[in-house]
Amino acid sequence: MANEFESIESVMEKLADARYIADRALATVLFLAHRLEKPIFLEGEPGVGKTEVAIVMAKLFETRLIRLQCYEGLDASSALYEWNYPKQLLHIRLEEKGARAREEIEQIIYSRRFLIRRPLLEAIQWDGERAPVLLIDEIDRSDEEFEAFLLEVLADFQITIPEIGTLKAERRPMVVVTSNRTRDVHDALKRRCLYHWIEYPSIEKEYDIIKTRLPGIEDRFAKAVAGFMHRLRDVDFLKKPGVSETLDWARALLAMNRNALDEDVVEETLGCILKYEEDIRKFKEEIWSDEEKRAAYL
Amino acid sequence: MRKNGRPIFREGQPDTPPGVAGWVAGFALFLKSRGFRVFQSAVLDTLRCLGQIDLSLRGDFFNALRANLVSSDMEWAQFESLFHEYLDAAQEEPPEETRESPSGGHGEKKRAPGGEFLPDVETDTSTEADRPEERAWLEGVAYSPVSELEKKNLADFDQQDVQVAELTLKRLMAPFTVQKTRRSRRSRKGGTLDFPLMMRKSLKTGGVPLDLFYREKRKRLKRLVILADVSGSMDRYARFVMPFLLGIRGIGSRAEVFVFSTSLTPITTLIRHLSLEKALERISREVPEWSGGTRIGYSLHQFNQEHGVTLLNRRTVVVILSDGWDLGGRVLLEREMRNLRRKSHTVIWLNPLAGDPDYEPICQGMKVALPYVDHLLPADSLQSLRRVGRLLARVVTH
Repeated sequence: MANEFESIESVMEKLADARYIADRALATVLFLAHRLEKPIFLEGEPGVGKTEVAIVMAKLFETRLIRLQCYEGLDASSALYEWNYPKQLLHIRLEEKGARAREEIEQIIYSRRFLIRRPLLEAIQWDGERAPVLLIDEIDRSDEEFEAFLLEVLADFQITIPEIGTLKAERRPMVVVTSNRTRDVHDALKRRCLYHWIEYPSIEKEYDIIKTRLPGIEDRFAKAVAGFMHRLRDVDFLKKPGVSETLDWARALLAMNRNALDEDVVEETLGCILKYEEDIRKFKEEIWSDEEKRAAYL
Repeated sequence: MRKNGRPIFREGQPDTPPGVAGWVAGFALFLKSRGFRVFQSAVLDTLRCLGQIDLSLRGDFFNALRANLVSSDMEWAQFESLFHEYLDAAQEEPPEETRESPSGGHGEKKRAPGGEFLPDVETDTSTEADRPEERAWLEGVAYSPVSELEKKNLADFDQQDVQVAELTLKRLMAPFTVQKTRRSRRSRKGGTLDFPLMMRKSLKTGGVPLDLFYREKRKRLKRLVILADVSGSMDRYARFVMPFLLGIRGIGSRAEVFVFSTSLTPITTLIRHLSLEKALERISREVPEWSGGTRIGYSLHQFNQEHGVTLLNRRTVVVILSDGWDLGGRVLLEREMRNLRRKSHTVIWLNPLAGDPDYEPICQGMKVALPYVDHLLPADSLQSLRRVGRLLARVVTH
């Protein structure tokens, strides 16, 4: 297959081609996960590009990304499969006048036609040429019961539907699990995964990210934005801006036809970077009103 | 000691699995002794991973180890320094020699699992009786710093203990999950199908049950309110116990948290975003006369006045964290404690002094408050925190 990962270097190259800037540690984890068919468990502050990893992986392997967004109350029937009850009931009504035997009808309504496939089943039943990438996003939002259930699925990628039988994945999907750490995820689940913590990027890395994502941007301007954001993350905000905020901001500035940072434009576009009223106030009062500090940022 | 450039395994060893396997196993045990949660399977996975990479590249070796042996952000942060520490220790004495000369004759040295000898290092000069005179850096055969740490008083923790303890605390918090009750309620989605309701509703469509209705089990959870004394003597203690209370699964993240010394400050919204450490720092900056002393009575009065109506009901469990040394008036404290007790489900008082077997609530504040407290627990060591966790798990869910 053309899209095999041969070595860590090739992973890094391919990621760069796909416009994702990764350090060697992350590339190593992806490489190992691919080779050993292990899920990856990604943690990190919001907006550092956890979800992006899965999207890029799907791009690299030229396969589909199947996404399961977790939320409180997520259960097996919306993650795995569900019988299409209304369709079944309708079918029974239609068959009432027919001549089919009861067993026959039963067999029909419990066939795959009446099965609603949810993300996990879809990943298992995938019949494409290449294994799909399964993204389980924000696992920390789901309930603990769901975690236990997920554990079962991730262990051997097979599920049993009583009416149909056991379904087993022909190709193990690449699994990426992300968490924002609003609660601890159970050890048993983490144990099955390779762990990686994505940190805020260094100035150089952030500069690279801006340059690759926004090719039209001037070097000097990109450098200024990266430096600004880097400095900003040293301040105690309720919500520190992530890389996605950096990109949003740079995009906004470009759209405003700016190519340099100055006092006014920063103040006008502060909403792109800081998302809490309290943070904005703090920034204005403690940093922006002080001429010396302000100069350091620009 | 050179950290870079030197091969981790001796010449000729990189390809021989026994050397690598032994090293990884030793390292895993070392991590375990420092409070990491390392599983057998993780060690095996590490070895499988190492088979896939070029062992002569130190960075990749490190990354592969980290991906397998780390399972939380806290461990992630500590991993690098522990890795180097272990390497340095391992390189001080060549493994070949130590394998040939087992522990005989080295009475005061502990034998590390990896086969290396490491000198005992004294980390603390405190005179407490239950502490061994020497502490090994590495876990010996029948020696575990973690279990030792469990009995140690929180106030005597040194920096290294703190690291290990944080990881241990995480483990203590894990088992308490919210129990579901038998009572069920209607729900839009999930749970089991509610056939009676479906039948009833199907009459509208001529007996065809087009809509589905479910019933799901209802979670019953009491509200947890934490009132923590962070004045002078209690500050250190509170910084330990609060993360524990807040970390308890399913309960802690919903707790309402207040800190007080001379006056009361709510910090619930702050700690949702900041670490506790930072939140406390911010408050001490913002609130004048922060560490001026303790006025429990007045602080409780403030709580009852301003938050009592919204937060207190018969499903509220109040946890007070204080040593009971009160500078305020006794009448006020008694009145407010009575109010608190009457309006809440349970009042738990965590007092670090209560761990002492000879402890008697002689200080005035504690004596006055005691009749209105359901549970008085010490919570001064990891072991007693475990007890607190169990109590909370029982009291808070039903």
